[in-house]
Amino acid sequence: MFSMSDAVIHVRNLHKSYGRSATKPVLNGVDLTVSPGMVLGLVGTNGEGKSTLIKCLLGLLRITSGEIRVFGEDPWNLSAASKAQIGYVPQEPALLPWMTVRQQLAYAAAFFPTWDATFAAELVERWRLPANERIGPLSLGQKQKVSIVLALAHRPKLLILDEPVASLDPVARRQFLESLMQAAETDDNTILFSTHITSDLERIASHLAMLKDGQIVLCDELDHLKDRVKRLRISAGADLPRTFAIGGALRTEVHGRNALVAMASVDAGLVEELRTRWNADVSVEDLNLEEIFVEMQIA
Amino acid sequence: MQVTPLQFEVHPSSGVPIYRQIMDQVRALVAGGKLAPGDTLPSVRQMGAELGINMMTVSKAYSKLEAEGVVSRSRGQGMVVDRVDVGGTVADRRKELQPFAEQLVVRGIQLSLSDEQMLSVVKSSQRDLRDTASA
Repeated sequence: MFSMSDAVIHVRNLHKSYGRSATKPVLNGVDLTVSPGMVLGLVGTNGEGKSTLIKCLLGLLRITSGEIRVFGEDPWNLSAASKAQIGYVPQEPALLPWMTVRQQLAYAAAFFPTWDATFAAELVERWRLPANERIGPLSLGQKQKVSIVLALAHRPKLLILDEPVASLDPVARRQFLESLMQAAETDDNTILFSTHITSDLERIASHLAMLKDGQIVLCDELDHLKDRVKRLRISAGADLPRTFAIGGALRTEVHGRNALVAMASVDAGLVEELRTRWNADVSVEDLNLEEIFVEMQIA
Repeated sequence: MQVTPLQFEVHPSSGVPIYRQIMDQVRALVAGGKLAPGDTLPSVRQMGAELGINMMTVSKAYSKLEAEGVVSRSRGQGMVVDRVDVGGTVADRRKELQPFAEQLVVRGIQLSLSDEQMLSVVKSSQRDLRDTASA
């Protein structure tokens, strides 16, 4: 594993509550390590604190307790050099409505020594953004595209996106994912994006982190996750007892002689044992990310 | 012979990880004779761009195929198809085929086909594959 100093993002026991006497913290002991080259999808149901976590990582919110290191620094006092390495796409595009798209880009370019104007122009072209129109009247989808160009054009080493595709149509989403993958092409570029559109994540994420009840309850390689999380469909010779349970099950549903059991991992021995013990037909089903997500969330 | 990324069909929202889908399809192309020893696989970059998936996933599939001895990495040429046979004893390989046979038999029974009729379906599939291979 990577040591803390190698990690691009390192979060330890992070707590965040809003207000003075908040009884329910939004983040309640988050641990997370993001290594260089990872494309990490951050998932969680609405209101689980994905945006809060992202804002803490960027130093936009002051944490209640715990520790965060981004490029080895405290994000609340991030150096200019480190800031220049980060690209951020907020959930709500934060743009200057009176500027044209071209002006907005030129304005942002001034802040970044590594700004790649050719690349920015290329993206504007590819995404058919009206360079000479004012940003104010643009649709939310177009504003989001501008916001994404702003985050990509200085070729950041760390790209953080908060629900970047929420307002994009399917074609734009696909183009956006392509650009993201191009950004990830350089091995040490790291991407963290929150989403609840699991199909986008399945295309490009290398890792997945799941936020639930204020904690990261799962952080794993996406492939590994799909390889291990399975659902067992059990059809026994006789009615199963109400107490039917398998150690390590995420969720169990029993109806008479049939049972559905979601498992965090399954080995051949277990399946064999179930077959003989309950005189059962057991099939092992693969789960896609959405199904895994649902199983974990209701578990 | 040369295969293109368009010959691959990837379903990101399947429960089967993408890298395994690619591995299965390469194996199928080899088994079906669409890829012969000496043929090359599309580059990782081509696959990633055409299929709209993370290139690391393609790399992973290729590396695992390399470890299995299906392809080998050749300087300047990328991944080259190695040899057609797979590892394991005959008993192991039969065991691997067993679940597919079960599926076939179950479906055959549902369609009320006789044992002989099911066998003839298998035989005609084998013929078809051989024909494509020699074509």
